[in-house]
Amino acid sequence: MSEKVLPSENFPSWRLWTVYGLMGLIFLYYLFRLFTLQIVQGQDYLDQAEENRTTIVKVQTQRGIIQDRNGFILARNVPSYNVTITPAYLPADEGATQEIYRQLSLIVGVPASLGEINDETVRLFKPCETDLGISQIVFIGDTNAPYDPVRVACNVDREIAMIVQEMNADWAAVDIEIEPVREYPTGELTAEVIGFLGPIPASRQEEYVELGFVPGVDKVGYAGVEASMQDTLSGVNGERTIEVDVAGQEIRDLAPPIDPIPGNNIRLTIDTRLQSAAKAALIAEIDYWNIYFNTIRSSNGVVIAINPKTGEILALVSYPTFENNRMARIIPAYYYEQLSNDPNRPLFNHAISAEHPPGSVFKMATAIGVLNERVVTPEFKVFDPGKITIEQKFSPNDPGTPRDYVCWLDAGHGYVDFLHGVAYSCDVYFYKVSGGYEDEVPVGLGIWRMAEYAKALSYGEITGIELPGEADGLMPDPDWKRRNVGENWATGDTYIAAMGQGYVLSTPLQVLMSFATLANDGKYMKPTLIREIVDSEGNVIQPFTPELKWDITTDPVITIFDENNFATDQKKTVEPWVVELAKQGMRMVVEPGGTADTPFETETIPSAGKTGTAEYCDNVAQSKNLCQPGSWPTHSWYVGYAPYDDPEIAVVAFVYNGGEGASVAAPIVRQVLDAYFELKAIDSTTGTGLGQ
Amino acid sequence: MFKREFWRHYDFWLLGLVLILSIFGIVMVRSAIAGNAELEGSVNRQATFVALGMGVILVVSLIDYHYWASLSRVMYIGTILFLLVIFIIGEVQFGSARRLDLGLFFVQPSELAKIIMILVLADFYARTRDQVKDMRWILQGFLMTFGVVVWIMLQPNLSTSIVLIVIWFSMMWISGLPIKYLVMLVIIGILGIMLFLLLISLGVQIPFIEEYQIQRVVNFMFPDPNARHGDTYNVEQALITIGSGGWFGQGYGQGTQVQLRYLKVRHTDFIFSAMAAEFGFIGTSLIIGLLVLTIIRCFQIAKNAADHYGALIAYGFGVLLFFQTIVNIGVNLNVIPVTGLTLPFISYGGSSLLSLVLGIGFVESVAARRKTPDKA
Repeated sequence: MSEKVLPSENFPSWRLWTVYGLMGLIFLYYLFRLFTLQIVQGQDYLDQAEENRTTIVKVQTQRGIIQDRNGFILARNVPSYNVTITPAYLPADEGATQEIYRQLSLIVGVPASLGEINDETVRLFKPCETDLGISQIVFIGDTNAPYDPVRVACNVDREIAMIVQEMNADWAAVDIEIEPVREYPTGELTAEVIGFLGPIPASRQEEYVELGFVPGVDKVGYAGVEASMQDTLSGVNGERTIEVDVAGQEIRDLAPPIDPIPGNNIRLTIDTRLQSAAKAALIAEIDYWNIYFNTIRSSNGVVIAINPKTGEILALVSYPTFENNRMARIIPAYYYEQLSNDPNRPLFNHAISAEHPPGSVFKMATAIGVLNERVVTPEFKVFDPGKITIEQKFSPNDPGTPRDYVCWLDAGHGYVDFLHGVAYSCDVYFYKVSGGYEDEVPVGLGIWRMAEYAKALSYGEITGIELPGEADGLMPDPDWKRRNVGENWATGDTYIAAMGQGYVLSTPLQVLMSFATLANDGKYMKPTLIREIVDSEGNVIQPFTPELKWDITTDPVITIFDENNFATDQKKTVEPWVVELAKQGMRMVVEPGGTADTPFETETIPSAGKTGTAEYCDNVAQSKNLCQPGSWPTHSWYVGYAPYDDPEIAVVAFVYNGGEGASVAAPIVRQVLDAYFELKAIDSTTGTGLGQ
Repeated sequence: MFKREFWRHYDFWLLGLVLILSIFGIVMVRSAIAGNAELEGSVNRQATFVALGMGVILVVSLIDYHYWASLSRVMYIGTILFLLVIFIIGEVQFGSARRLDLGLFFVQPSELAKIIMILVLADFYARTRDQVKDMRWILQGFLMTFGVVVWIMLQPNLSTSIVLIVIWFSMMWISGLPIKYLVMLVIIGILGIMLFLLLISLGVQIPFIEEYQIQRVVNFMFPDPNARHGDTYNVEQALITIGSGGWFGQGYGQGTQVQLRYLKVRHTDFIFSAMAAEFGFIGTSLIIGLLVLTIIRCFQIAKNAADHYGALIAYGFGVLLFFQTIVNIGVNLNVIPVTGLTLPFISYGGSSLLSLVLGIGFVESVAARRKTPDKA
């Protein structure tokens, strides 16, 4: 191919035009591409650029404090000092940097250099929980975010913090970070009520982040009031929208900062002094019997005190418990493991979460049912020979197998009326009136109606106290047994249910509430731990208002059953005279001849109560081979209230495997009642506390 | 003799365009350093280079370009020796030996080699103008080019090598490379690239090709969306930077991506992105337009040059500008893999500016010495 080139032209013009053409095509394509990026997708990229430079930082708020009813502080925030280094502010000179490390090391006791940097150590690195030296920690911090201070020593003394703070004048990189840490002045004494804090769990991280919490920094309640009142206590973190450069250095605020809203303070209904007395009484009683029997017989128990008129919990003791101050900064793994593996379950709130057979304290539910349903008149005397034999039938046509039911008093109580039935806790009386007995009591109360009265007195349902993990107990009926045990309700089941045995389970709090309801003339006040909620400036934002759940004498809470034991739509109330007689019976318990006459012999303020000695056979007892027929191990129960005529305190005491209610639990209640009235007397002179 | 003639033909358009682009470059570098302490001196240095550069243009354009023809052989051998020196004693920086520290500043011989090769190849193709365009002709040019390219490849510096090959190829093209040979060369080129890709995918170690070069190609074709640094991150941030400019840009010194330093190597390789962010589509198109005008100006001077040698110098330099421009912008727009080529006149860098103003000096020398006036 030969080309003619005009002498005046340097190149064949088509060849130059080809180059121009290529150039035109490429630049046109570039303009098109530029247009696509800047105009068509411009907004997307602008958003990404905005996202790059915008960072939202949370400004930590202050968690509300918790006080007892007298203003005594149970949970507060104290500063904890951490020594930090901001890698970006270190001097450029390596020697000067090393000098800082050396000097700092001498003060805070963290080695200037220790351990090596590799994938493993970097991945596992957690400030405050590392063995690495200062250089290594700073190296990791520098790689992650050079402008973020990294903690090199945590929880240093205030004096050391002040020395380091002074170093900051010379070395901008070294600083002190003040971290609020929860402190519980009463520690173990109130741990079961207050609970403790922990890091935001990974499973609920999303939910908390949405509420403005910062994972890894903010803590949330794990137990007790700290957990149940989390939303009230936590407050709301503040927020700053800031501009950051690529190294993470803050440039300026992009929006007016939103100030943090401090958490609200909570004043509990607990009286720490009474709590202390209750706990001391419980532990002393348990120790006394353990020493007496020279063996660890019982090792856990519960005491709860309540004002029956308002539902205010004055003391709530679950023993054993834990030391919540040990979890203030971090939850130490070894301690948590130790608590988790303890067979007495210190992390478990026995007062509200433990379900045990209530034993004879449950008889009060049966008792009001018997009178209200007019199974017998109060004056009707039932004969207690010490032992009765009943045909155990699983269905109406079942010929039945004879079975013996004994009274706790082998000789029997002879003829007993209602009041003495309660006072003596006469088992045979309650067998006969609940399940019926030959011609003497042709038709007993029956399980269906018994359950109605038990539920009216708070059994079988959670009470709604402000603590996490409350159990609902169990008030069985034939339907329940069919579904869960796969067996028909037997006649004998009713007899033992009447005295809180068999399938009946309840929490100590439920037992207490059943008595508080009776003591308060049938008014069931919702138990509460919260006296008032106060904002950070001291304004009461939720004053105390007692909450009436129901009044069994006016609210129709008892479902009426027809003769075939089918529930009808109608409901009825418990008649006031029934409640009155129940109270009289309980008064007779502490009077001479009653089951608890000894421990209350010397009382100055008249009280009333009921003992309970509940046979049980759980896995612990089984493994110890304690479940011998006829002599099962027993839990010790007692519930008392005083003054009898105008009750202002009701107390339940429960000792696991404690034995007799009258000899173990009753003395504890007696001591708590005494302590209460003593404290009240002190307060009345000053016009504070329990006198209010 | 050239007093009046010289200045009458002097291309003030070209000079003006170069001056505007260079000054804009200083302005852009000033914004792009974005408070980085290590780069603080860059603005003054770049301004000094531009001032010096203007002097260089004047001095070089005063020298009759025909002198260079007689020096072709000397310059060619000198370039190879210089590159050898670099190869043997040059210090290793950034993984490749490219620069010679002359105390005051670094000299990058490969930058200089581009300009010298334009002169040398222009001389060769001017002399062989009337020769038959056969395989021998092609091979001669090829050997001449690769005598230099091989040392640059060894540095290793793939991008400059490609620039030289492109200059050689474009010179052949304008000098009348027959279409059949063109087709042949293209086929050989395509086969070569395919063989290259095959070898890479088989994991064969290829001489002259470094791991990071392969990685750049791989990153371009299969970007890792989670990369926090490296080429993928740089290109990703460059796209965000360009896109954030919109029609009119965020304003000089106001581009958030630039000023907060999310954009990397923003005063050199990615200065185009910085410009796009701060001046938007309109401003950027304008600058592209100025660059295109500069290239066209070179081609026009080539067209009207007094002789073939001068024409090939102007044309060759035009191609150099064109190629560097499209490669740099192409990297910024993420249409080609990352290379180290700068944006002519605007990117920061003394060596690169020096070689550019040398080239402009030659082109002006050609323009000033044309015999016939512009055709209307």
